[in-house]
Amino acid sequence: MTYELANSSDFPAEKRRAKGIAPMKAFRQFAAWHTIAPPLVFFAMLLVVGIFNPNYLGPFGISIVAATAAPILLVAVGQAMVLNIGSIDLSNAAISMLGAILLALWVPQLGVAGILGVLVLMTLVGALNGFVLAHTQVPSFALTLGTLGILQTAALVISDSQTIYLTQNRELVTAFYNTSLAFVPLTFWIGVLVAVAYWVLLRFTVVGQNMTAVGKNESGAILSAVPHRRIKTITFAVSGFTGAVAGLCIVAQGGSASASGLGSNLLLPGIAAALVGGTSISGGLTNPLNVIFGALTVAFVPIAIQALGFSAQAQSLVYGIFIILVVALTTTRTRGLVIK
Amino acid sequence: MTSAIPPVLKLTNVSRSFGKVKAVNNVSLTIARGEVIGLTGENGAGKSTLLKILAGIERPDEGTMEINGKPANFRSPNDAFRAGVGVVHQEQSLFTNLSVAENIALQNQDRSGLSRFGIRNWGEINRNASAVLDKIGVKLSPRARVGDLSFVDRQMVEIARAVCVEPGKDATPLIILDEPTAVLEQAEVEVLEREIRKLRRFASVIFVSHRLDEVLRICDRVVVMRHGSLTSDRSTEGVTKQDLFKAMVDDAPVAVTRARAATPAQSTPAIEARGLTVNGKFRDISFAVHPGRITALVGTNGSGRGALMRTLFGAGKPDAGTLLVNGQEVSNWSIRKAVAAGLAYVPAERKVEGMIGGYSGTRNIAMVHRQTAMVGPLLHPGRMARTAQTWFDRLDVNPNDITQPLDQFSGGNQQKVVLAKWLNSPDLRVLMLDHPLRGLDVGVSQAVNAQIREACKNGTAVVLIPDTIEEALDMADEILVLRDGQISARHDLSSGSDLAIKEIVAEMI
Repeated sequence: MTYELANSSDFPAEKRRAKGIAPMKAFRQFAAWHTIAPPLVFFAMLLVVGIFNPNYLGPFGISIVAATAAPILLVAVGQAMVLNIGSIDLSNAAISMLGAILLALWVPQLGVAGILGVLVLMTLVGALNGFVLAHTQVPSFALTLGTLGILQTAALVISDSQTIYLTQNRELVTAFYNTSLAFVPLTFWIGVLVAVAYWVLLRFTVVGQNMTAVGKNESGAILSAVPHRRIKTITFAVSGFTGAVAGLCIVAQGGSASASGLGSNLLLPGIAAALVGGTSISGGLTNPLNVIFGALTVAFVPIAIQALGFSAQAQSLVYGIFIILVVALTTTRTRGLVIK
Repeated sequence: MTSAIPPVLKLTNVSRSFGKVKAVNNVSLTIARGEVIGLTGENGAGKSTLLKILAGIERPDEGTMEINGKPANFRSPNDAFRAGVGVVHQEQSLFTNLSVAENIALQNQDRSGLSRFGIRNWGEINRNASAVLDKIGVKLSPRARVGDLSFVDRQMVEIARAVCVEPGKDATPLIILDEPTAVLEQAEVEVLEREIRKLRRFASVIFVSHRLDEVLRICDRVVVMRHGSLTSDRSTEGVTKQDLFKAMVDDAPVAVTRARAATPAQSTPAIEARGLTVNGKFRDISFAVHPGRITALVGTNGSGRGALMRTLFGAGKPDAGTLLVNGQEVSNWSIRKAVAAGLAYVPAERKVEGMIGGYSGTRNIAMVHRQTAMVGPLLHPGRMARTAQTWFDRLDVNPNDITQPLDQFSGGNQQKVVLAKWLNSPDLRVLMLDHPLRGLDVGVSQAVNAQIREACKNGTAVVLIPDTIEEALDMADEILVLRDGQISARHDLSSGSDLAIKEIVAEMI
């Protein structure tokens, strides 16, 4: 071991440290950029719109944006967890929809038990997704595309294609929307709470560490004794649970649920919000806290387009271009050339 | 004509810096026609950068380069290829789902006749491949799918691709082989050596390797690099390994020798296989490893030893036989159960299987044994970092930065972290290592071996798949030779018997 010693005396620890990090400095700054980009983009947009239309900086604007963002945020933060393990959940918005319909049907009779029942049931639906994925190795895209169809049909059949109104115990659910804290409805704060919980899960728990490990390198994780099948099941269960909470927000906002009404097209905004929040679509990288800003941005863009006076026809066009630009800004490039 | 033949390669005072680091420092080198040059040096000595300059991937900051007497100023690998420099890279870059001929054709896309108006001329592609394979004297069908070939045959296809260079009339191609033997077994290395000797009939060769024996056997001249400079450039005649070693490192290491451990009379084997079989891979394997002993599994790539080790670790299900861990027969064996019982496995495919590249050293070390980092159900970042820092310091990982993603470290330092992940176990019973020294330089290899010996001294049983037979003889107390999935010989080295390498090779093939 004399050789090792000789080497270390040539390069004292501090010197070696500095030497090792210097070439990586540029990389590091890039990596730091992706952690601040999502909030930065949102506040920049808020500022621009505020200059043209100061109303949006006030309580009214904030409450509208947050209310719109709440269900998107919940769907997105669940999606981010699934993207983080290298899969995708195309069924999570359909889970929200079915959950909303079941809530509207059950809460009048069952009250709080109805809410809990929906949360548990939808979590199980998600877990089933994950279980089938882990044990049959059907790619998540194909699998959840299938579940999406099944759940949509279930929603239509159960609701008999009608809008279902909360007839009794209405306040039990709508209170989440009608109660505000700092001008922002509770539904949004629930989303924030869930995002913080997932952030803690990823950062401070073994399950969370294993999720990211599976997303970064599944075979490496398996050979480090990570229970990869259980991790996938848990992740999809998490997505199902979050979807059900999004369903709760939908019913809270409208007081009713239907398979084609409010919140029936959350899937793509949810994915967009996860990506704008800096989540990598190829897995192993997400920050649920940034997904909050991703959801705010995605919810705010249509409002901003209107506020800036674009014509109705141009809205989708501007929305599309804007999302591409923002994802280009917020995606981390430290992972190299390969982008799936 | 006699004295007018210019050297194939002439480097004059070539330098290349990255930031403040001079990766290649004032290197001058001349290679004559038909010469085979060995290039060696530690990881990070500048070999790779020098090769990249020759291959047109990097451009020198200073100095001049001449190929076959013409000044060379490569702007791309294509320029180098056209000037006659063919490179076989360290990691194979063949398309396994294409045929041999297609792989060779991909290298010289713009050669006329291979395609007409963008449509492939299959007859010409196959004829061209046959011609190239004949030239280097390799008997392979151009129509064979590369995925079906053995490892050494694939290496031949790589060489065939490299010799497709067209240096022009009367010029000699320069073929660079970057550690072609790193992943080959002993018998395959011999095949490769024969091929390299054939190459010198029409080309000059630069052969890069960490294995000094091979360099001395194959090459006419050997060049040693250290800290970016050439420290030695001499004919291989009369040179010993020790001479090269001195030129490579700053201080010659003290050879670590260890008293061989005999089988203790009364101890339970840490791991024991009885008649273990996996259909198509290996059959009827019985052996036991006691605490404090090292057993090396020696054999060719197809001998089934890698699959055997994975089965011991629970990564594959046996079709027959029983497995005993710490004296207990196990059933429904899995990786999770193996790890819980104190087993550890360092896979050969370090980047793909051994580590989570995007994770920091801290997180990688906390992947398996993290009891000390837990506070209730939560991971404590400070404690994780403390554990990681202890291991980084103990194994001298460079750069000493536990937060940096592991895929930004060099291979040797990655291997140290992979090892730390398993050594961090509170109760390590069996340590299994598949080619732990693959691609590592002498210094890191010694550090890794020292850790293996240390674990062994503390009562861990070690199962080792070595790169070379020398490594097995250096490390093991017992050598098991595997051939075609069966144990063909057992040698207990603790009995003091002297074992010849030739003898073992004979048992392997």
